[in-house]
Amino acid sequence: MATTDTEVKELIKREYEHGFVTEIESDTFEPGLNEDVIRRLSELKQEPEFMLEWRLKAYRRWLEMDEPEWAHVDFPKVDYNSISYYSAPKRPEDMPQSLDEVDPELLRTYEKLGIPLHERAKLAGVAVDAVFDSVSVATTFKEPLEKAGVIFCPISEAVQKYPELVKKYLGSVVPAGDNYFAALNSAVFSDGSFVYIPKGVRCPMELSTYFRINAANTGQFERTLIIAEEGSYVSYLEGCTAPMRDENQLHAAVVELVILDDAQIKYSTVQNWYPGDENGKGGIYNFVTKRAACIGKNAKVSWTQVETGSAITWKYPSCVLRGDNSVGEFYSVALTHNYQQADTGTKMIHLGKNTKSTIISKGISAGRSSNAYRGLVKFGPGADGARNFTQCDSLLIGDRCGAHTFPYIESRNKSAIVEHEATTSKVSDEQMFLCRQRGIDPEQAVSMIVNGFCKEVFKELPMEFAVEAGKLLEVSLEGSVG
Amino acid sequence: MKPAPTLSSAFLHPAGQTLPEPLLALRKQRASALIDMPLPTRKTENWKYSSKYLKLSDDMAISLPAEGKAGTSLAIPGYKVVFINGVMIPEASEYPDLDGIVIQSFSDLDANEAQALSMQLGSALDHEQAQFARVNDARFEDGLLIRLKPGAVLDQPLFIIHNTEADACGSAYPRIYVEAGANSQMTLVEEYTSSGEASALVNTVTEFNLTDGANITSIRLNMEGENVQHIGATGVLQGRNSRFESHCVGFGGQLRRHDLQVRLEGEGAETKLNGVVVTQGKQHYDNHTSIDHVAANCTSEETYRNIAADQSHAIFNGRIHIHQDAQKSSADMNNKNLLLNNGAEIDTKPELEIYADDVKCAHGATIGQLDETSLFYLVSRGIGRREANVLLTMAFINELVSQIPVQAVRETAQLRLNDFFEQTFQEI
Repeated sequence: MATTDTEVKELIKREYEHGFVTEIESDTFEPGLNEDVIRRLSELKQEPEFMLEWRLKAYRRWLEMDEPEWAHVDFPKVDYNSISYYSAPKRPEDMPQSLDEVDPELLRTYEKLGIPLHERAKLAGVAVDAVFDSVSVATTFKEPLEKAGVIFCPISEAVQKYPELVKKYLGSVVPAGDNYFAALNSAVFSDGSFVYIPKGVRCPMELSTYFRINAANTGQFERTLIIAEEGSYVSYLEGCTAPMRDENQLHAAVVELVILDDAQIKYSTVQNWYPGDENGKGGIYNFVTKRAACIGKNAKVSWTQVETGSAITWKYPSCVLRGDNSVGEFYSVALTHNYQQADTGTKMIHLGKNTKSTIISKGISAGRSSNAYRGLVKFGPGADGARNFTQCDSLLIGDRCGAHTFPYIESRNKSAIVEHEATTSKVSDEQMFLCRQRGIDPEQAVSMIVNGFCKEVFKELPMEFAVEAGKLLEVSLEGSVG
Repeated sequence: MKPAPTLSSAFLHPAGQTLPEPLLALRKQRASALIDMPLPTRKTENWKYSSKYLKLSDDMAISLPAEGKAGTSLAIPGYKVVFINGVMIPEASEYPDLDGIVIQSFSDLDANEAQALSMQLGSALDHEQAQFARVNDARFEDGLLIRLKPGAVLDQPLFIIHNTEADACGSAYPRIYVEAGANSQMTLVEEYTSSGEASALVNTVTEFNLTDGANITSIRLNMEGENVQHIGATGVLQGRNSRFESHCVGFGGQLRRHDLQVRLEGEGAETKLNGVVVTQGKQHYDNHTSIDHVAANCTSEETYRNIAADQSHAIFNGRIHIHQDAQKSSADMNNKNLLLNNGAEIDTKPELEIYADDVKCAHGATIGQLDETSLFYLVSRGIGRREANVLLTMAFINELVSQIPVQAVRETAQLRLNDFFEQTFQEI
């Protein structure tokens, strides 16, 4: 029981542990955004002409767009001209080729986070494409991946090495003009991960990347593109932490997943960025566009997310189920505390026949936070026999927080079936009574109940992923199995 | 970007100057708020699915004259008030003088009563959400005031027949205000019908103000013709331990929109909202409901069922808002939908917004079709496929329709619905 005790404390009262700033000289652009900045950025990254064109086109689209205001979040306007759009650790021209060459200061940062890259990668068999601010600085386990034919590299490298793949798939799932933040990202994305799994290959290990926002006032614009060819499989893990800082930092990432016939992608996220202090000061703005396109038949995608950080979360990992019999899944735990605001959910767009989707969303709000589930389930006219099941549950801890549900359900097919259910509750007196009657003290009882509440989602996470989330998830995962 | 369309200034000129002075003044004041009122577009959240059905031409701004003969499909076992094109017709109305109960048309109010009413009109509605209630505020030409003194009980249901005589293009603005004193009781039936083939707009507002312990049942039947665009709003304010029950049965048309807003302002208030909608052809129906739990210990229960056939479009949007002090609230919302053809569309959005922790809230929504196994069961017992379909579809909505407490209305609704389904499943 001791572990579950710690868990509740971790979940509810925890202070952000990862608040420190690594002192590294950064090669950073002056704040501001215009076409010149984009040209410089593209030139610095030695991108081919088509990329620059693509970025500029996105930028021009972005200029015409309005910032979305529909989300159930409240924050001061972001001044996009006060942000610097590029920041890289020093010596960009001489990137480290192996772990030994990595700046020891960086390695120490990871160690402070509890992820000794080297050791952990070996033990867990995880290849890590670590992103520190904007440029990938270390990539391990390239060899076994190369042997399998898997491409796992920074996207800036992919742009140079595999331009035809990038040209074909970049922006194919999330078009540059998709939304305000996606357009901004398309214009100025700094780096990110590129994964290509060839036909019939089961990726030999879990792929993982760590994002950290480091230099002050630097927006981080990650771009991830994962392509799973026919019959392939990959499990991708993403985890985030950021140093403690008073100013709000903007993070506008785009993740695109392309899944062809019979392929499967499992994408897991633990997001634990700086949520701001007890008075709601500071914290990360996390405005993310994540979308998976199941283009092929029998394709499958599964999003699992544990969101505990960020001052503001605006994130809707989506699935476009185009291929017949394709499957989309979304499992989410979102915890908000103090003044955190989360507006998160998913979109399931059923276009193909017999497409199936499942949505399990658990929201926990505490303190003065606001936690909203916003989702769309849509059946197109061609989605014969499509099926969706949605469950979103909210748990309120304290009487000053809010829990909201905004599900959009649209059907245009007579043979499609959708079921949606949502409940909101607090830890009930009956549950508490039952536990206490059996000699369990109140704190332990609450922790047991919260743990049980999230169990359905935690069990979807790969066990290897417990590391970055630290005690937070480790405890939760252990709790879910015993 | 092209500028958002605004309401044509043609709509700013009300007719019907026979109203008492305070109400004319109120109307004038509200009309000023209409200048440049933006019309909903696809981007307007609460009109997202319906804005494309809204077609307001300038000649539609003309008030339809209060003449014609009122028709009703109901056999009326109670008191009756007839409105034609938003104006009460005393000759066609029948209700006795009852102790403690005022039933009066707006035009007949004396200055004091009119003054009091002008302070109350519009108070039960959130005009941000029900934008078109503003148009009614500025345009109503008559209306019905019902005041129940404390403890008054109306012994029989009161039927209000709203008839739209659309022989020429135009609009009507019916308005009802019900003030229910402490522990008073009544059942109100509103039937909306129409005759004539010209395009018409019916823009209605009905308000209920329930004082402590009042008990009101409201039944609303929407049976207008295809040519009528109906945009209605109902606002309900509930005091301590009051009880409100609503039954809406709607048949589709070119545009049907009903906003039902309930505010539970006194502790222990209870509300129950039932709704049934059927659409066929190219019809449309949009129900928007919202329940605000403002006070603690209130209960709400909401059940809506939609059936869309052919290329029609049915929409349900239910919102439950639990305010910070509304502890021990219990709210339950349920929306089930049958989609009968591939060209049809159903959109549903059951929303919860919760700011108190000690609450029990749940909502559920489904969209699906008739169960093949049940159909097979019926067919295997010698019931024709068409009849089996009608039976099962009737069963789907009858769960709600059978709860309508006034027999005459219940039976009429059941008959009409049965006819509707016979027609829908004709090809089988």
